[in-house]
Amino acid sequence: MKRITSARVSQLLFLALFLVLFVKTDYRGRDEINAAVNAFFRADPLVAASYLLAARTFSWLVFPGLLLLGLSALLGRFFCGWICPLGTILDLITGRIAKSAPLRFLRGNLKFWLLVPLLAAALFGVNLAGLLDPIAILVRALALFFHPLLGEAARQGWVTLYRVLGEGRDILAPGYGLIRNYLIPFRETFYPLAFLSALIFIGIILLERYETRNWCRNLCPLGTLLGLAARLSPFVRVPARLCPDCGSCRDLCPTSFDREILQKDECILCMECQLRCPSGRVRFTARGTAAANGPLLPGRRVLLGGLISGFFLARFFRFRDPALQARLLRPPGVRNEADFLEKCVRCGECMKVCLRSALYPAVLQAGVEGIYTPQVIPRLGYCEYNCTLCGQVCPTGAIPDLAQETKRREVIGKAVFDKNHCLPFAKKENCIVCEEHCPIPRKAIRSRKVEETTDDGRRIFLQIPYVVDGLCNGCGICEHVCPLEGKAGIEVFAVKDRSPLREGQGDAPAGDAPGKDPYA
Amino acid sequence: MDRRAFIKLVGLASVFSEAMVRRLLAAEQPTVAVAEGRDYGRATRNAVSLLGGMKQFVKPGAVVVIKPNMGWDRTPAQAANTHPAVVKALVEEALAAGAKRVKVFDRTCNDERRCYVQSGISDALKGLRNVELKFIENERFRTVKIANATVLKEWELYGEALAADVFINVPVAKHHGLTRLTLGLKNVMGVMGGNRGSTHRHIEEALADINSVVKSHLTVIDATRILTDHGPQGGDLKDVKVLNTVIASTDIVAADAYATTLFGLKPADIPVTVAAHRRGLGEMNLNRVRVLKA
Repeated sequence: MKRITSARVSQLLFLALFLVLFVKTDYRGRDEINAAVNAFFRADPLVAASYLLAARTFSWLVFPGLLLLGLSALLGRFFCGWICPLGTILDLITGRIAKSAPLRFLRGNLKFWLLVPLLAAALFGVNLAGLLDPIAILVRALALFFHPLLGEAARQGWVTLYRVLGEGRDILAPGYGLIRNYLIPFRETFYPLAFLSALIFIGIILLERYETRNWCRNLCPLGTLLGLAARLSPFVRVPARLCPDCGSCRDLCPTSFDREILQKDECILCMECQLRCPSGRVRFTARGTAAANGPLLPGRRVLLGGLISGFFLARFFRFRDPALQARLLRPPGVRNEADFLEKCVRCGECMKVCLRSALYPAVLQAGVEGIYTPQVIPRLGYCEYNCTLCGQVCPTGAIPDLAQETKRREVIGKAVFDKNHCLPFAKKENCIVCEEHCPIPRKAIRSRKVEETTDDGRRIFLQIPYVVDGLCNGCGICEHVCPLEGKAGIEVFAVKDRSPLREGQGDAPAGDAPGKDPYA
Repeated sequence: MDRRAFIKLVGLASVFSEAMVRRLLAAEQPTVAVAEGRDYGRATRNAVSLLGGMKQFVKPGAVVVIKPNMGWDRTPAQAANTHPAVVKALVEEALAAGAKRVKVFDRTCNDERRCYVQSGISDALKGLRNVELKFIENERFRTVKIANATVLKEWELYGEALAADVFINVPVAKHHGLTRLTLGLKNVMGVMGGNRGSTHRHIEEALADINSVVKSHLTVIDATRILTDHGPQGGDLKDVKVLNTVIASTDIVAADAYATTLFGLKPADIPVTVAAHRRGLGEMNLNRVRVLKA
């Protein structure tokens, strides 16, 4: 057991904070979420850098990230050793994983070959940072797999108790209520890419088989970026080299000291070497401008190659299946696809927070370039009229944080009836469940009464529904509640023009008279 | 009379007896209590006391289910959900009458968490002892065979509603696109499981089927403010009409029939009411109903 050090205390506090914020990223009986795990992304320099490169506009949302980058240039990679929750998880686990020899191919410039193309792709308009950002990897693994798994287990247990105890289970209800309200996801949701998300996380843990903090020192693009900043830090460790008479640092150091000289860009400032130096020699001290070991930037080849790879990365994977595009619905307030790709970190927070489990990571629906970006799948969940949570938690404002009145008018898509399936059209049966659920006060789905004769000769009034385009915000509740099995009789389709509904959505647009067949 | 004739008579009588008994009971005139007032809690209490008070329905130690309509993410002013003051008054009356436990729930259409909060009912019931405002849990639905059903031979119904000693049905009176109005009979949909929307194709008969097994011992219709258009969800305050009225009856059809008149409609205009009356679930002819006002 390691001694409790300040770094370890800080790590555990930040991990706890991260987990608390993660669980708090949910509806808790109030329209606003006062704190969410987006705080970690807003302080994430990689997210900030790729946002600025891609969107080419400044946003105060990413300012904390820039601040952290600045602090790292002053102090070094303290984020990795004191804050990063993924790093903490690795530190907590790594002791239990037996090590074999380090993997050679991970060494060297590989980390730059990850970071530079990622940033270059952002420069060319596709923000991929989140795919390899450690916080995003962790949030996705939790949000898309582990947290739902925990929820399913708890729920199954609760249901099993009912089968065994019947109403007697009620005694335990307050306890379960706490778990349901504060710990597990409210709804049972299965996400696509859950497997991949968990696999990446588990893969990072398995990398610990080869060396400690293998991901952090050899792959992590956030760590690499912070490492670049760290080289500017005036603080240096003395002595810089392994002492010839001791060499304990080789064993104490989790990242850097398998070479003779401390690699400043890999040092995570855990202070283990200082605290545990047998002769008390090690100090971290300010030396004015530091003489960094090695060149500041990786070779020209990596930079140029990375730039070109980034360009290709941003251009190779743009094919999109038009059939899938027609149903690619973005969260409310997202009006422009290109703009969205520039800003979305793909962290999965919106999916986690979505009240009705309407948001899912795109697999190929947005092309390969759009993997993990959120999309609304109305048949699984609809966008709740009064809910603004996804915009509140989005770390970069890719989903804008809108007031309730504004968000209600944002257009996700437009509903379209399928007369071959919809009951009144296809089977002469009354239904109108879609109209019933339409949340627009003046109803974007309306119906007209038509007299019909049934097969057995009865005269009936059928209510034939239609959509008032000018009032439909594409929330998808109609598609969600359509009582048909499988395919719905009404579906929301993506539209290019997502300008918001007019204010005071009571107003019906001109030319809308009841009884007029909109499909005639 | 020989033995053969006697047996025939007994056989025939047994066939008719059920209908006869029902008619005999119906001879006792159904009563609808109507109370008005701006204090919705007091109006609710007045309506119930016109029927003899909550003690008529709730015996000491009883488990009471109160089923408001709180299916929508709407505020009390929007009249899509039962007013919290009405619900609270009923809960308190039930407790005062000696109820062991009062359970309040609804299978909502919008997100249940938001509905319970936005309806104001969550706040209204906060801190009351022996009261549970609870979410629907799927494992509690039971498939119930419905004898003499017209369209729903069986359906999943909520166990806690079926098991309750007293089931108090507390709808809000409002417009509905398909059934014109939604009142007590339709509010019972909130204890239905499964694909409820699929019953819309024959909603009148389906609701009569369900109401024949989920009996409302007391129906209290919240007409403190009614939604006159764009129901059942509304949203536009222009569609809301304030009436400050609460209606209570042990006859769910009579209560619905009376509430219908508040919209300027006749009970016969509402197919759900007509079907329920035809199926013997209650009286829709207001001439045969005793209306007590306070």
